[in-house]
Amino acid sequence: MSVHVSTLQARISGESTASSPLSTEEYFVNMGPQHPSTHGVLRLVLRLDGETVREVVPVLGYIHRGIEKMGEHGNYRQFVHLVDRMDYLSALANNWAVTMVVEKAAKMETNDRIQAIRTLVCELQRIQSHQLWWGVFGMDLGAFTPFFYGLRDREQICDIFEKTIGARLTMNYIQPGGVMYDIHPDFVKDVKAFLTYFKSKMPEYDALMTENVIIQERLRGIGKLSAERAIALGATGPVLRASGVAHDLRKSEPYGLYSQVDFDVPVGTTGDCWDRYWVRMEEMRQSVRIVEQLIDNIPEGKTFLVKPAAKIKVPAGVHYSHVETARGVLGVLLVSNGKDAPYRIHCRTPNFNNLWCIGEMATGGRIGDLVATLSSIDIVVPDIDR
Amino acid sequence: MGVITDNLPGVLEPLPGGSVLVTAVDQLINWSRSNSLWPLTFGTSCCAIEMMMATGAARHDMARFGAEVARPSPRQADLLVIAGTIVKRMAPRLRTLYEQMAEPRYVMATGSCAICGGPFMYHSYTTIRGADEIIPVDVYVPGCPPRPEAFFYGLLTLQKMIREGESIRHPGERRRPVLAALPEGMTLDDIRKEMQDLLSHDANVNMTEAAAEGAHYSAELKDF
Ligand code: SF4
Repeated sequence: MSVHVSTLQARISGESTASSPLSTEEYFVNMGPQHPSTHGVLRLVLRLDGETVREVVPVLGYIHRGIEKMGEHGNYRQFVHLVDRMDYLSALANNWAVTMVVEKAAKMETNDRIQAIRTLVCELQRIQSHQLWWGVFGMDLGAFTPFFYGLRDREQICDIFEKTIGARLTMNYIQPGGVMYDIHPDFVKDVKAFLTYFKSKMPEYDALMTENVIIQERLRGIGKLSAERAIALGATGPVLRASGVAHDLRKSEPYGLYSQVDFDVPVGTTGDCWDRYWVRMEEMRQSVRIVEQLIDNIPEGKTFLVKPAAKIKVPAGVHYSHVETARGVLGVLLVSNGKDAPYRIHCRTPNFNNLWCIGEMATGGRIGDLVATLSSIDIVVPDIDR
Repeated sequence: MGVITDNLPGVLEPLPGGSVLVTAVDQLINWSRSNSLWPLTFGTSCCAIEMMMATGAARHDMARFGAEVARPSPRQADLLVIAGTIVKRMAPRLRTLYEQMAEPRYVMATGSCAICGGPFMYHSYTTIRGADEIIPVDVYVPGCPPRPEAFFYGLLTLQKMIREGESIRHPGERRRPVLAALPEGMTLDDIRKEMQDLLSHDANVNMTEAAAEGAHYSAELKDF
């Protein structure tokens, strides 16, 4: 397979590809790294022809913190807290990815209580993450109210986490061998109260955005991504599912208690911004379903099966496992040399591949649609740069 | 700064009771400045989410303190909240942003990363250990990430500082009422030196050893 590499310089001096006789001179616009709609410090170089986008080139590295390299300096337990800071909106799923690879490699035992708690908190965080996305998406489209509504409801889940985990954002909760603390005595009651509350708020979300003609007209038909290209680019999560590919690790390779619960995987048809919007809204409902099924049936048992200070030794070799975060597949590749610290860690993060779809989605479209398209991918930049 | 504030002391001082007048004008200016901070929308990583919760969520609501007019352009902002890690590649851009902001400008460093590098202080080859290596910082808010309440405490501290701080007699010079004292017998240079030692010690990796060790894994990785 040959890879075509072209530098930015070559593109700047390259021929114009505009075919219309009305085409104007091409020019470049630099978007970011400080831009309110890039959700962090992402830089996009846009090649424009009038209002038409000819090419989008993401430029990375503005928040590269060297997390993978830092992982080699500590033991396995110490790596868990670093992945919180990658995709901080799915901190628990990230914890779980590392935990899973270590547990699988070191053949550590868990029990049903641990798995149930892990599944529950991860689904709660999926809802939380989508709520934030919903609010910010609204704001990027120019509607300010969703931002308040989304964050108002996100606070409720923050409270639940705070009681059990003690943190609001960077959790460091799921550990090899169990979870850091047992759930708070109020956990079940609080989650049920939240579910009742949130189910009454979902129609509000729908009335505000989903059923809104302006939003529908704004999103339909822009930023299209075909299923073939989505697979080729390695997109995962809602971006892939919106293109019509029903791939969800929770279904295809169930971990935790996902095999015991009943839920659907929403898929889109055309892969436009509207589909991505709809898939995420539907995923929130499915997560509510999962939580509802599990919340009354948390089994009894211990929540930590190894001594917290015990050193974990992973047998030498290459180990891999992956989970489905709110944004797609997060895979952790671990190379171990049998010592208590990893030799090399690599994270295959969902946002990196999802971001690269922006070229496919935005090329040929209007610059006015670019922000809506970018926001519909729902990127978290530190997860791209790591 | 503005033509008026620059020339005002010269006009007022010679008048009878002029210096009292200058103090009164100072108070008025500082009071209005402290209650109409315009933050720049700038966040690099995790802490930015908590900042969003602080500004946007109805429970916290920054508008109560007169600082909700977030501006995406540095030219219209006078408060820079550094929410998140600053890495080497971003550092020059941060400096540019700061320099483009309108005078008088204020900087809050929120989160351990912006204070000292936080969780990325050791072993990371890219992070800047503290935003104050690049730009002057007025208020530090510790936490990883700081809760919205902590952020507001920082904001109130900044407002207090602005109210007591500047005089149009000496524009740009700030008095800092809130200063933490260092333990006796220790200077800032001692701490810097200790940190530098630690960091250079951390970065020592024996490349030959590491490469020899790596050879056999690369063979294994090939068929993975
Ligand atoms: S202080 Fe903690 S939460 Fe804030 S940016 Fe740094 S790692 Fe993230």
